[in-house]
Amino acid sequence: MTDRPILNVWGAEHQYGSRKVLRGVDLAVRPGEIYALLGPNGAGKSTLVGAICGRFRLTTGEVALDGHDPFKSPVARARLGLVPQEIALYGHMTVRENLQVFGRLSGVPRRELAGMVTRALQLTRTADREHVPVKHLSGGYRRRVNIAAAILHRPQLLILDEPTVGVDIDAREALDTVIRNLRDTGVAVLIVTHDLEQAGALADRVGFLKEGRKVLEGSPRGLIEQAFGQEMEILVQMDLEPDMDGESILAAEGLERRKGNLWARLDAGGYNAAAQLDRRLRSLGMIPREIRVRPPSLQNLFSLVADWRRAA
Amino acid sequence: MILAMFRVMALALWRDRGALVMTFLLPPLVFLIFSAVFAGATGEDVKLKLAIADDARTPASQRLAAALLSDPDVRAERTTPDTGEEVRRLVKAGKADAGVIIAGDPGAPGAPILVVSDPSRAVAAPLTMARVQQTMARTMPDILLARTLVETAPAVGGYSQEQIAVATAARAVLAKGDAKPAGPSLFAREDIAGAKKGGGTIAYYAGAVSILFALFSAMTGALSLIDERRSGVADRILAGTRGMGPVVTGKFLFLVAQGMVQALAIFATAQLIYGVPVLQHAGPWLVTVVAASTCAAGLALAIVSFCKTRDQGQMLSTFIILILAAIGGSMVPRFLMPPWLQMAGWATPHAWTIEAYQSILWRDAGVSAVYPAWAVLTVTGLLGLLVAQAATRLVR
Repeated sequence: MTDRPILNVWGAEHQYGSRKVLRGVDLAVRPGEIYALLGPNGAGKSTLVGAICGRFRLTTGEVALDGHDPFKSPVARARLGLVPQEIALYGHMTVRENLQVFGRLSGVPRRELAGMVTRALQLTRTADREHVPVKHLSGGYRRRVNIAAAILHRPQLLILDEPTVGVDIDAREALDTVIRNLRDTGVAVLIVTHDLEQAGALADRVGFLKEGRKVLEGSPRGLIEQAFGQEMEILVQMDLEPDMDGESILAAEGLERRKGNLWARLDAGGYNAAAQLDRRLRSLGMIPREIRVRPPSLQNLFSLVADWRRAA
Repeated sequence: MILAMFRVMALALWRDRGALVMTFLLPPLVFLIFSAVFAGATGEDVKLKLAIADDARTPASQRLAAALLSDPDVRAERTTPDTGEEVRRLVKAGKADAGVIIAGDPGAPGAPILVVSDPSRAVAAPLTMARVQQTMARTMPDILLARTLVETAPAVGGYSQEQIAVATAARAVLAKGDAKPAGPSLFAREDIAGAKKGGGTIAYYAGAVSILFALFSAMTGALSLIDERRSGVADRILAGTRGMGPVVTGKFLFLVAQGMVQALAIFATAQLIYGVPVLQHAGPWLVTVVAASTCAAGLALAIVSFCKTRDQGQMLSTFIILILAAIGGSMVPRFLMPPWLQMAGWATPHAWTIEAYQSILWRDAGVSAVYPAWAVLTVTGLLGLLVAQAATRLVR
């Protein structure tokens, strides 16, 4: 990774009518870095990406891609590859045919096209499906070809919009490997995602966007350590759905419902605290099926940020 | 880049065999059906179905009824019962195009023949009158002479005994069928040069169906612009250096080529089955094909570029296609329309296209007669392309 950012955003503000969507966002992404832009719906992520892609001019602020404004300069946009959230490919055409078309549409000269297509197939590990029509590919392969179609012109910044939507665990790991490989070739990768698990596992840095502001930024590990210190997350999977009394007991233990019958809390006591919790619950007639202890994740951080904002 | 998009469109059509067959086989088929249907409607093969009743029951009225019943140019049937009321009932029920009630002796003064017609088939009444007059002139010249004498007597102050005797002798000769009617007919008929029965209508509908389908197919192809927006392809391309310009131009060229192949299929059918002289006018015909296809492609892209969803695009394009086809003469020949609609028709590409094809293939007209149509169609198509380019740039 070099220190000079390929993408710079300074004081980005944007509004649609009277509704402010971005309220002064700064962002820098460097070559060879994976940056995950996180945030709930309506946080302003798509608007920020639109501005970076040169789709519109910001109300206030500046965007520079390798020093050029992407709204004004095709030279700047030539540095950029966008992987849309949707499978932005032609289903009736094979993988290779799609890459040939998008190569030409992204300005790859005809004489270089074959080489660039082969490179993209190799980088995204899709060469074994090059003659298969896209409509016959699995979801994971489609996602990878979606990336391949964005790197044919050797962009310096690759933007991936929700790259793991509708992808199973195995395919997600293959996708993560492809993204890491691209990062290792020196490409700056900006991932826009709701998938905090992927962001935590993949990103060198993350930025939380909320209500048009960047509220947190840093490496996932550093941010988590900073926010939670020695705290661990204790997860309690209950066998039976607790009644009103049971819910009161769990709440009194500081547990919050996650999803289904899974309850969780953060505790600096780690494994000892989990053992004590198990004993107390059993003594009250609440038998957990499973108790797990793990380090906090970006999900915990995200909830914490949401709580801060609510408190504010 | 433009060719890349041309290839996308071409492969989409080539790999959807159902769509491919429908794109290039349906137009000739519809052309054959339209030609068969409308060849009759323009009067070339009209055989009216007439209900006939003879209320007068005179020798002359019986001769007229018999002549009409045996006339090969009409489908006449005597009513049962043989009354005027029955004629009116059949016409009202739509079982006859018009009715003929012979209320008085055809040789007597006044209007002895009553034509009954339904206003919804307004053209049937004058056609029936003309047919009856033709039949009388051919089979009953003696009766016509008698009517003429009666009607002209007041104007000339009556005829002398000698003149009446000569006329009576002439009537007798005419009644035997030994002589042609005295005096020339008011009308002589001349078909235009090179005219072949049905050819004018065939050339008309070959043009009408080709522009109709060129627009239909172009609209369907242009809807892929909306699909590309929905699938994220447009986002991907708009983030690049060239924007949607080459995409729109590539689609435009493909739609022009598609319209040309469709026209080729239709006119090949017209030449092979009806002998429309397409090859003999290959040059100007080809220019017309290019101009009409350009117009259809440009219009379709312009219209679709303003639609936000596929549903909007489909509804709007269907509406526009039907309206333009109706006003422009792709469904009903324009000369049957009221004058203001005929004038409005010039605002449609259909009227210009049909006019150009008819001028070339039917009237043997030269370039001087068709270049306005070529110019209107080409300029409209290119303007449509510019509008589509501008509209897709707006959504950058």
